[in-house]
Amino acid sequence: MKTYNVLEAFILATLLLAYFAHACFAASSADAEEALSNAEENLASAYVHVAEAERAGANISELLERLVYAGGLLAEAKNSYSTGDYEKAYSLAINCSSAVNNIALEASDLKLKGEEAYGEKLMFTAGISSVGLSVLFVLSLFAWRFLRRWYVKRVLEMKPIVEDKA
Amino acid sequence: MNIEDFKLAYLLSCFCLALIILSPTLAMVIRLPRGEPFTEFWILGSGQMAEDYPFNVTTHEVYRVYLGVANHMSGLEYYKVFVKFRNQTEPLPDSVNGTPSPLYPVFEYRVFLRDGEVWEKEFLFSFDNVSFEGNFCRISNIIVDGYVLNVDKVAFWDEENKGFYFQIFFELWIYNATALDFQFHNRFVGFWLNMTVPI
Repeated sequence: MKTYNVLEAFILATLLLAYFAHACFAASSADAEEALSNAEENLASAYVHVAEAERAGANISELLERLVYAGGLLAEAKNSYSTGDYEKAYSLAINCSSAVNNIALEASDLKLKGEEAYGEKLMFTAGISSVGLSVLFVLSLFAWRFLRRWYVKRVLEMKPIVEDKA
Repeated sequence: MNIEDFKLAYLLSCFCLALIILSPTLAMVIRLPRGEPFTEFWILGSGQMAEDYPFNVTTHEVYRVYLGVANHMSGLEYYKVFVKFRNQTEPLPDSVNGTPSPLYPVFEYRVFLRDGEVWEKEFLFSFDNVSFEGNFCRISNIIVDGYVLNVDKVAFWDEENKGFYFQIFFELWIYNATALDFQFHNRFVGFWLNMTVPI
């Protein structure tokens, strides 16, 4: 009889827990709103960093894929919030924030690498151009001496022509 | 040609050659001005052509249009597309002043596009809880991508055009990295719908 009562109490407690657990852990409208606001900020900040990295010439394909994915999550979260599904909105917003978690750092890293690569490429191109200009300068001096001699020789070999005034 | 002219021609040739040699470096340093940056924004009908847009609609039927954005802003851009729903009396965006419609968006998309990239999305919608009472029609819900959205719009009978007219329109917003906020990109597209009684 005692075992029966304990079992009954256990089942009752489990049912009560199952009933109230949802209410305890369910996201409210305010929770969802806060999560959405954070996700919005995180995504925007990630975008700003990725855009900077792109301008610096970095390869952002992988980061962009993550941005697109996170953007989809945030849009879904906003749409769920509009329909009153705060729990789904909350969970999607949290997922969105997680998806863009390290993007800003990675983008800054890529930006630095992109700038370094640009600097190296610029130095290399400028170096090649300088060598080319130096070679051009030296060759043009030699070429000028040769051309001047050729020109003077050509002028000296010319025969004067007397025009007939009649 | 005297020697001075010959010398000048030679110097000019050398200068041109020097420019050719320097051109790869100059191309990396000098940023030439690009054309006017802009964004394309469109909707296409069910056949992905600028025709066959849904017009006479009824409840529980699914309709389809295609929504597109193309980025020509010369860099990565972050767009937000708002879907708004209105009747004939509610305001559209003001393209002269560049202000959006004050109506609340019923649905939204987030889009990231690099320069030259295109985003196209199938937009499926249907209506639920539509009632006709006297000379007005009330739409309570619009269903987009499985989301049942509460719109609660009323349209009065349009005697001139013989119908209950509503409009779905899309606004394009762009993220401004300087202001750290979205701003209306002064682009919107939409199409009219005539709600009819189901047979």
